[in-house]
Amino acid sequence: MSEVGEARKRVRFVPGQPDMWAFVFFETLVFTGYFGFYLFYRARSPELFLQAQAQLDLRIGVFNTLVLLLSSWSVARCVQSSRAGAYRPALKDAFLTAFFGAVFMVSKVLEWATQIHLGNGFASNDFFTYYYFLTGIHFVHLLIGFVVLGVVIYQLRSPARRSQELIETCATYWHTVDFLWVLIFALLYVVR
Amino acid sequence: MSAVLTPPASAATPPSGPLHHRIAWHLRHNPKRELWLAWWTVVVFYNLFFPVFFIVAQVQPPPQPTWDLATQVHWFHERQLGIPIGFGIIFAIGGMTAINNALIAYSMRRMSVSRAFAYSYLIIYSLSAIPGLYLLCIALIVGTLRPERDPEAVGWLYDFAFLSFDGTMGVFLIGSLIWMLAILLDKNRVFPKWFGYLNLCNALTEVVVAPCWIFRRGVLAWNGQIAWWLDMVVFGVYQITFIVMLFQMIRREDFGTGPLPDLPRKPKVDRSDVEAAA
Repeated sequence: MSEVGEARKRVRFVPGQPDMWAFVFFETLVFTGYFGFYLFYRARSPELFLQAQAQLDLRIGVFNTLVLLLSSWSVARCVQSSRAGAYRPALKDAFLTAFFGAVFMVSKVLEWATQIHLGNGFASNDFFTYYYFLTGIHFVHLLIGFVVLGVVIYQLRSPARRSQELIETCATYWHTVDFLWVLIFALLYVVR
Repeated sequence: MSAVLTPPASAATPPSGPLHHRIAWHLRHNPKRELWLAWWTVVVFYNLFFPVFFIVAQVQPPPQPTWDLATQVHWFHERQLGIPIGFGIIFAIGGMTAINNALIAYSMRRMSVSRAFAYSYLIIYSLSAIPGLYLLCIALIVGTLRPERDPEAVGWLYDFAFLSFDGTMGVFLIGSLIWMLAILLDKNRVFPKWFGYLNLCNALTEVVVAPCWIFRRGVLAWNGQIAWWLDMVVFGVYQITFIVMLFQMIRREDFGTGPLPDLPRKPKVDRSDVEAAA
């Protein structure tokens, strides 16, 4: 291939399948819709939202965010190791990512249980409807993320497979889960 | 999956000549005529389906779940002509959904994946037509044609119709996931991978409809901005995309079992040639 061709290929390079980026874009649009409706309803009854929001524990939100950021860090390390051909450390990082994901999941379930115990259910008021809806739909994305991590581990385990493109595609999905959480965290816990 | 790759059937060449000769040739000899018939059936079905629900019967966008019984009875009364005519059409053309499902199942049979995907999709979508389409039509037509019944019973039909339609989207979810998985695993390049991920997006928005069983007002009610309007936008994008994808698949179909060939690219017209010809 000519140098120009090589350079063009380098410029166009995105990690993993470009198709996954179409998913990231589309999901971002859908979540933008969810966030738009949230902000619209929040602007209509700011007092109610502020009061309800005060019942969330910001420390749990920060903890959740740190855990997911750590999971993104470990999945990035996994990609890096895999690119370098260091498959054993890559496998370790994939398991570490799953561990952080599981910590997030357990912490979220405990938070839901605490809120329900406090009398803040799914239909209690508009804020908690959004709270359960946004964290719930994100939770579904996280569950799919475990399947995706399973694909990464499956790829890394056998020398016969090890598709770098697939590993990077899966890592892109995991980063999307993290990215969406950061926005949800900002809207539900931080913006007052 | 067949281990032996069968060579593609040789493409017959349509004759040149008057339009009706060419149409007659395609009807008699075009090897893809059944596939095109199925695809056009899909197009005709959706071109009738949406106008019937939105314009003739006027049952979509869905009415308010919070209306009292008197308003619900009045709502049925206002549609005493539209609902019987509209749903009469739906009962007549509803079978076309089978052809739609068959074409999608055909796309999975053309892939390198197990036949189980195509069969599961066919069964799931055949069953989901009942809660997702027919129950709504039956409940609303009963409510319209039996106006003398107790308003309580009419109100029950009203809830039953819209909850069966909107509340059972989860049944479609598994179908979307099956198609997604088949596309992502396929090695025959029948569809691009991004279309597989679009199936996932569609499936994820169908999860969002489930809370309409709980909420009678707000964004998650059966007529809510998220549960209905946003989902309808995603479904519309998905619907148009999959019809175009099936169109492209038929154009590329070679009746072999290996990778689906790409369409030949149109040769670029050299501007200097055009100018010289002029």
